Amino acid sequence: MGRKKILLVDDSSTVLLLHRMMLSEHPYDLVFASDGQEAVEKAVTERPDLIFMDVNMPKMNGYEACRVLRAEDRTRNTPIILVTTRGEPQHVQAGFESGCTEYITKPFSSLELMAKLNSYLGAGDAAEGE
Amino acid sequence: MTARRLVLLSSEANVASDEEESPPPRHGVVGHYLYPGELFASAEPTSVTTILGTCVAVCLWDPEREVGGMNHYLLPYVVGAGHSSPRFGSVAIGQLIDRVVALGARRAELRAKVFGGMTSRMNARRDGTDLGTGNVLLARRLLGEAGISIVAEDVGGEKGRKLVFRVRDGTAWVRQL
Repeated sequence: MGRKKILLVDDSSTVLLLHRMMLSEHPYDLVFASDGQEAVEKAVTERPDLIFMDVNMPKMNGYEACRVLRAEDRTRNTPIILVTTRGEPQHVQAGFESGCTEYITKPFSSLELMAKLNSYLGAGDAAEGE
Repeated sequence: MTARRLVLLSSEANVASDEEESPPPRHGVVGHYLYPGELFASAEPTSVTTILGTCVAVCLWDPEREVGGMNHYLLPYVVGAGHSSPRFGSVAIGQLIDRVVALGARRAELRAKVFGGMTSRMNARRDGTDLGTGNVLLARRLLGEAGISIVAEDVGGEKGRKLVFRVRDGTAWVRQL
C-alpha cells in the first residue's frame, strides 16, 4: 500500500510550517500550495488523496477552489477539508455548498487533526512506519 | 445544483418536511450560533444554530419546564489533554444533561434529538468505524444509558447540515448543505 498524499493549502507559510510539523511523525507525503489557484493546479498534477485547505486566500479563495475542483473530473472525488476560523460560520456553510467534504475549525490540536485525516485516509495507513 | 431541503422535525418525531429556507421568526426569540466544541443551554426562548459535518449535535429539552440546550462535539472520545472539553462526545453529552438539569429541567422528562454524523463516500472507512458513525453511536449509547429517549434523528448521509433548534419546545429545522 503506497503512502497517502496530502495537499496542504494556505497563504501563510507559517501555517503551512505548523501543519507540516503536526504531520511530520505520520507517513504522509505532503505537497503545498499558497492560494486556491495553485491548489487547483497542484491537485490536478499531483493527484493527492486529500486536500486540506484554508478558506481565506488571495487569487482564489477556498470555496472558489472547491467549486473548480468539483467540476474537474480528476479531482471530483478527492476529499477536501476546509479550515475555518471560529468566527466564520458563514464560510462553513458556503464551503459545504461549494463542495467541500468536511471542515475543521481553528484552533485544533494535532490529535484532532489526525482523527479527521484518518477518517478519510485510513488509520491503518497512518500507523504504518510509526 | 443540489436542492435545498429544510426538514422540520416536530417535538415528537420526524414527521414533516418543508421547502422553507429558514424557520419562521418568532417574537422575542433570541438567536445563538453554537461553534464546534461548545454547548449551550437556556430557559429563555432561544433558537440555536450550528453547522455539522461528521460532528454531532445532541439537542435536549424538557417540554414541561421549557428548558433545553444543544452541544456540538467533534470526536466521540477524548484525545490529548481535553478531559473536560465538550469538543468530545464522552464529555459533552454528560455536561449538556447537567446544564439543562441545573436550569430546572427534570432528568426523567428530558427528550433528545440527534443530528449530524455525515459519512462521506470519500471516507476511507466503510466498516462503521468512521468518525461520523462513531459520533452518532456514542450519542445513542450515552443517551440510552441516561434513560433519555431519542425522539428524532437526522444522521449519516453524505451532506453537511445546518441545524436550528428551539430550546423551549424542541422544534428543530435541518437543511442539507
